[in-house]
Amino acid sequence: MINTRTHAGRLFVFVVFALASAMSAPAADIQIVKSGSERTGIDVSAFVPGSTADGRLFLKTMEEDLENSGWFTITNGAAISAGGRWSLDGPKAECTVRHQATGQSYLSRAFLSRGTDVRRTAHEAADAIVQAVLKVPGIASTRIALIGRVEGRKNLYVCDADGRNLVRITDQNAPCLSPNWSPDARKLVYTSMHNGYPDVYLIDLGSYRRDVISRFPGLNSGAAIAQDGRRVALTLSKDGNPDIYVIHWPDGRLTRVTNTPRAVEASPAWSPDGSQLVFVSDRGDKPNLYIASADGGDARQITFQGSENVAPDWGADGRIVFSSRLGGRYRLCIYDAAKGVIESLPDDGANYEDPSWAPDRRHIVATRSVAFRSQVWILDSMGGPPRRLTLPAGDWYSPAWSPR
Amino acid sequence: MFAALRVSGLVVCALMVALSSSGCRTKPKPPTNVPVSKSDESIKPITLTGDDGSVPMVGERTADGIRVTDVVFESVMFEFDSFKLRPSELAKIEKVADYLRKNTAVHLVTEGHCDERGNNEYNMALGEHRAQAVRAHLVGLGIDAARVQTRSFGEEKPVDPGHTEAAWQKNRRCEFALFR
Repeated sequence: MINTRTHAGRLFVFVVFALASAMSAPAADIQIVKSGSERTGIDVSAFVPGSTADGRLFLKTMEEDLENSGWFTITNGAAISAGGRWSLDGPKAECTVRHQATGQSYLSRAFLSRGTDVRRTAHEAADAIVQAVLKVPGIASTRIALIGRVEGRKNLYVCDADGRNLVRITDQNAPCLSPNWSPDARKLVYTSMHNGYPDVYLIDLGSYRRDVISRFPGLNSGAAIAQDGRRVALTLSKDGNPDIYVIHWPDGRLTRVTNTPRAVEASPAWSPDGSQLVFVSDRGDKPNLYIASADGGDARQITFQGSENVAPDWGADGRIVFSSRLGGRYRLCIYDAAKGVIESLPDDGANYEDPSWAPDRRHIVATRSVAFRSQVWILDSMGGPPRRLTLPAGDWYSPAWSPR
Repeated sequence: MFAALRVSGLVVCALMVALSSSGCRTKPKPPTNVPVSKSDESIKPITLTGDDGSVPMVGERTADGIRVTDVVFESVMFEFDSFKLRPSELAKIEKVADYLRKNTAVHLVTEGHCDERGNNEYNMALGEHRAQAVRAHLVGLGIDAARVQTRSFGEEKPVDPGHTEAAWQKNRRCEFALFR
């Protein structure tokens, strides 16, 4: 059944997937976002970059960031104008943003480069403009953690949200996977086999100190830190099969969240309020998403479509993005509990996996693979164009967007 | 007499696995409380911890030690997205159990692997469940649970890097890594 209608300037195509399985629970409608959202024009021609390379780099980077935010498009003569100049005194960028016709001032602020690179200063300015004009958080200053397989070696990397400033965090020749951020964006948890077994480590990105935080017999993997920074959800198999557990910091007390001897559980992700976990379980034969209290107890199945539903990430606005195997391909879908619908992002013939929400609650970073080669792309849940992160030659996996 | 008993124990194990395989896809049920000959000297029922068929790990993780290389055991193979032990694979596990009974200083790691299809993180858990299914079967055959650890490689270590059904079939396996 396909039903097309226009709603609030956006075109949705509603496709109700016929369920092959005899699952009795109701299937949510699948909505496909077909068109991009409206963008606000912003005129940056009044900004004076000066004669230095730094000034020009600042302006170019800020322009890219404003476009990448999804909310703005650079347009000469637009109602909103960004002016100011790159000053060698600091050096710093002095920025003013105002409405041309009404004279309303949105922003008047200097962004000191403080010895850090010019691009970072531009990211700060772009985020401040997005926040001042549209009252939403920007993403230019955020980072993405990911796994790269370069020249056959898998390692943990971190880059800026625009794909630049790529830093290799580890230097090992052993499988590693599934990085996730601490709430303060200063640390990463990830799974590494450099000591022979899959164990979970915590890396401090300031000191590069690495501590093992879980090395029980069997599997330790898929760690996710709660927003309170005091609990880690992960998969352990120490009691005889892979189940979801929560480690409480600092005392190390364990809560067993699932207890399914004949099923696999994996990939826990925290609800925004830290009270619940969404995870993958094949207790109903196929891998599907379930929600349970972080204290344990009964789990509720939330996906029934396709042949697999995996890799959930629970966004700050309550929407869960995940990868769903539909029609032989992995597609990104968003489960909106409040609306009771599952929206799927457009199908371009590629496989999309391991999605992670940006802190703007709008963009999603995910792997996009074609013919078993994997790259990282940024997608817009509001229908804007997808963007590939430009990274060195290799395969790139498991991206995780920093919380801020 | 003892040989006959051992065979009957095997038949019971095989029957249990065969019975549990009815339906589209069922989970492996390690033989619980099945009398199995542990050695030629004694026959006693094996009691697994817990009544759910899972065999908890014992104590802390132990160091691998020195790899035993003078004997190689065939990998246990699996269906796609399954950790069910097929009846055709049980004899492979029995051979390992025989070796362990005769070589009491040897301990081992069952190493679970997946094909490249499917989510990496899910495959880590699936590979672990394959390793755990083989471990539980060894314990059901009388091997001390403390001698068997598990390790999942997910889809990270294929034996065949190809992207074909034949390659995937080879990669869905549990290997036996023996140490002393």
